[in-house]
Amino acid sequence: MRILLAEDNSQLRRVIVAALKTSQYIVDAVTNGQEAVDHAKQHPYDVMILDIMMPVKDGLEALREIRAAGDRTYVIMLTALSEIDDKVNGLDAGADDYLTKPFSLKELLARLRSLERRFDSLDEDVLKFGNITLDGNEQVLKSENSISLSSKESRLLQYLILNAGKELSSQTLLNQTWDDDDEHADNEDVWINVPYFRQKLQAVNANVTLAGPKGGPYQLIEREKPNA
Amino acid sequence: MDIYGHYHHSLIQIQKLMMDRLESLNQQARDAGHAKLYEHLASRIKSNDSMIEKCQRKGYPVNTESALRRCHDAIGFRIICNFIDDIPRNLQALKNADWCTIVKEKDYITHAKPNGYRSYHVILDLTTPYEDVAGHTPGHYYVEIQLRTIAMDSWASLEHEMKYKHNIKDPERIGRELKKCANQLASCDIQMQTIRQLIHENDKE
Repeated sequence: MRILLAEDNSQLRRVIVAALKTSQYIVDAVTNGQEAVDHAKQHPYDVMILDIMMPVKDGLEALREIRAAGDRTYVIMLTALSEIDDKVNGLDAGADDYLTKPFSLKELLARLRSLERRFDSLDEDVLKFGNITLDGNEQVLKSENSISLSSKESRLLQYLILNAGKELSSQTLLNQTWDDDDEHADNEDVWINVPYFRQKLQAVNANVTLAGPKGGPYQLIEREKPNA
Repeated sequence: MDIYGHYHHSLIQIQKLMMDRLESLNQQARDAGHAKLYEHLASRIKSNDSMIEKCQRKGYPVNTESALRRCHDAIGFRIICNFIDDIPRNLQALKNADWCTIVKEKDYITHAKPNGYRSYHVILDLTTPYEDVAGHTPGHYYVEIQLRTIAMDSWASLEHEMKYKHNIKDPERIGRELKKCANQLASCDIQMQTIRQLIHENDKE
């Protein structure tokens, strides 16, 4: 992972950089908020660690600018122990997590490892159920044959496989799979994907069906015998 | 040499006859108030050189008997359809026709080839007014038919271009891209078919 660290305290900065490098992370260390903004514009990062109290530009302002530029990188804020408002303002400004000073390096490293596991599991997008395989990266449904899926279909099928055998309401699928920005999506949008799925499952000769009447609830089930 | 011998003329006549028969099946479907069976037809008689090459490749003696009996694709037709659903309709029409029998079917739609090729292949045994290679009249001739959608047909044209070009840089990559494209086209075919079914779902009531 490549990490951007913004911390004006040179002693603390040195300690954190040393710990991160020991854990095999690539680190760019800067000393104020403006440098953090500039670095965020130039390089791709997996994680940014921003102190709040910094000269030139404080961490909160830097974070707001970074987010305003469309950067979605995971951000951890370093806040003073007593300041609840710092934590709230940081999270509201777009931070994903915070650590209160003084913090232990052990805890910082544990959080980074947890993040790494999360990032890795997002890459492991291959799920199996019955005789079907969903490759979420390629958006392909495979069985005896293969067929492409739209990004919605891919997300929907992922959720259905992870919750196979459960009766899932139309509303649950809608909430899980449609983006918040797609406000017009309704149960009809879920429904139209059901026959698409049924046809596609049939097209790859799957022994898996999406059961359920129009309007739901829907249930992904494995049939006893494969398609004749 | 002319591998088809004096049967070459009959092949041309049978090609015409077959074209008329398929067009007539389509007309019958239209007259019965159904959608057209296919979008268009294509056909060819396998060239002399290709047929000789095929017989040699398969280890058959290079003669008319091999070309017309052991090989089944001297006459080839493509039935190109708008929608996947049209393919079983065409198959049914062929099964019902009294002038041919289906001797072999290969479903490369349900079981696409590893490169992504999709089509439904059938070999017909056609009864014709022309003498066949065994000396019988009415004579029997084989016709190979490939049924596919427009999307599958376009894909096959593209794949054909690749197969016969030998100076492609990184053919494996192009092959992977073609396979991906085949999966996407199959997805579109299914989507169109599903939409069509949704449009017509109340027709039967």
